Amino acid sequence: MTFNPLEQRGIPLDRQLRNWREMNVQPIDPDRGDPYTRCRIITMNGIEVEAILFSHQLARNTVDPDVKRQLARTRYIEAQQQKVVNWLLPGVSSVLETTIAYEQVAVDLTAWVARMEPDPYLRQAYQFGVLEDFDHLFRYANLYEMIEHRKAESIVDNLTEVMPGRPTKFHHRDPYDNVRDPYDKNEANPLSKLHALTIMSAEQQTMNFYMNTGPTYMEPIARQLYQEIGLIEEEHVTHYESLVDPGETWWEQLVNHEYNECYLYYSFMEQESDPKVQAIWELHLNMELEHLHTACDMMRRYDGREPQEVLAPELPKVVTFAPNKQYLRGLLDTQMDLTTLGAGYVREAHERFEKMQEQIHGGQEPPSERVMAEHDDVFGREYRVQSEGEHPDPALREK
Amino acid sequence: MSEPRTHRAGGDKAKDTDVVALLMRQHGDIRNLFDEVEQSKGKERRTAFHRLVRLLAVHETAEEEVVHPFVRRMVPGGEQVVEDRLAEEKAAKETLATLDEMDTDDPKFMPQLMKLRKDVQEHARAEERYEFIHIRRHTDAINLAVMAKAVKAAEAMAPTHPHPGVESLARNVALGPVAALMDRTKDAVRKAMGND
Repeated sequence: MTFNPLEQRGIPLDRQLRNWREMNVQPIDPDRGDPYTRCRIITMNGIEVEAILFSHQLARNTVDPDVKRQLARTRYIEAQQQKVVNWLLPGVSSVLETTIAYEQVAVDLTAWVARMEPDPYLRQAYQFGVLEDFDHLFRYANLYEMIEHRKAESIVDNLTEVMPGRPTKFHHRDPYDNVRDPYDKNEANPLSKLHALTIMSAEQQTMNFYMNTGPTYMEPIARQLYQEIGLIEEEHVTHYESLVDPGETWWEQLVNHEYNECYLYYSFMEQESDPKVQAIWELHLNMELEHLHTACDMMRRYDGREPQEVLAPELPKVVTFAPNKQYLRGLLDTQMDLTTLGAGYVREAHERFEKMQEQIHGGQEPPSERVMAEHDDVFGREYRVQSEGEHPDPALREK
Repeated sequence: MSEPRTHRAGGDKAKDTDVVALLMRQHGDIRNLFDEVEQSKGKERRTAFHRLVRLLAVHETAEEEVVHPFVRRMVPGGEQVVEDRLAEEKAAKETLATLDEMDTDDPKFMPQLMKLRKDVQEHARAEERYEFIHIRRHTDAINLAVMAKAVKAAEAMAPTHPHPGVESLARNVALGPVAALMDRTKDAVRKAMGND
């Protein structure tokens, strides 16, 4: 199977506009669908949001009105794609249920990317980050049981375990230590560029979601937990965006964005279990192929370079949503106590880290700890899903 | 994995001083019971369904007696909000009546149950979004606690784990006993609200 997006043609751009009837998609079943279908929807929404925001930034840095118009045409279609994709989510789900699904995406997508990432420095960045999303899932799951009396396993369906990761209170680092070193655009494996863009986009959407939905809660502990984790998502966006080589030109970045969209729609089309959703992935792939060709033309015109110089010779192995339980247990066993120092990682709490911790916590327990105490007051236990046995770290086993 | 079940609202150690928080947890309890009915078979399904019918009857009665009158009285435009919710409840009750007359092993039972699950879930979310927010906005802590007490009095009418001997009588599900249960619930609520 070799699918090369550069050699395929899709739906001509002037035939991509959809009317209201075509936009009015049937949402997925909130409780009985494949959890990974919901994960793919959340991922593609994040990718489309990034496509739109990136195109806006590019337009704001563009002088030529014709180029602005060309960008606006593609961007409008991308805005429609975002509406169709995100509107597959059912209105009946609560914000907290969607949040738990976002964290399942963060865990299983980042774990998959870490497993497939060829570059050891980049792989470490994903391994480091995934243990934090893993802990967020645990905290939100406990909040969910407290507020809605439902268990997170009804959402993640035993595909993802729910137990402590690196404790959320230790995610608050001095911003200086959140900036990573970038890959080298001339040396990096094309797959590494796609990985960085994908995870950056997913985390950015998570940040956007929490910063906007957090205050819709009335329960003080819920409002506070969204504030705390929302701030950590900002750290994650800083962490992942700094992996991308800033020496890539705007046009090169545009081509990478469009190529990544083709890659992900193709990946998800290949594995989708819901036929209606699969039809959307296929349709959007056929739209993205033309967006990619338009972007390639712009790169040739304004950079005077061939897109083949920066893209993969053929589509890499598909991104897959699948359980990563044993992989995550391995990380829980070995990387729990890491923090960042400059662009690297250390096991000891250093001065800058401790100062930040002291300032942000102000001598109090943060919301991520208080949510567990409040849950314990009500239920006399924690909520966990440990389908593969005890927690790998003896210190984090249930007392 | 030995994950303990989530205690029924009122059966956990939450303070239950806020009627909205209490009702939201009960919405979760109802969904949990739908899952139990769906995942069980034979006699177990009959008893789980029996519990579901009783919890639904009691919960809806409590809302009709406590929540809807408050919203109608205190919230501008509350009349329409309540009308919409009552229409949803009526639809759910009709499905419930069909189910009541059906054997839980009947092949038509599950599709009907799934329809009811969907109706009840949509109704519950609509209540949370369009009705409960007004309750918190238009009342104080004391009133929230009084209403919570009334809802808890109603819940006591639907025991979480009735004696097995009683439960196995599948015909208890029939409308007669449920209607009587609703009446008893109304009395209990009115007494707790001090209206009696």
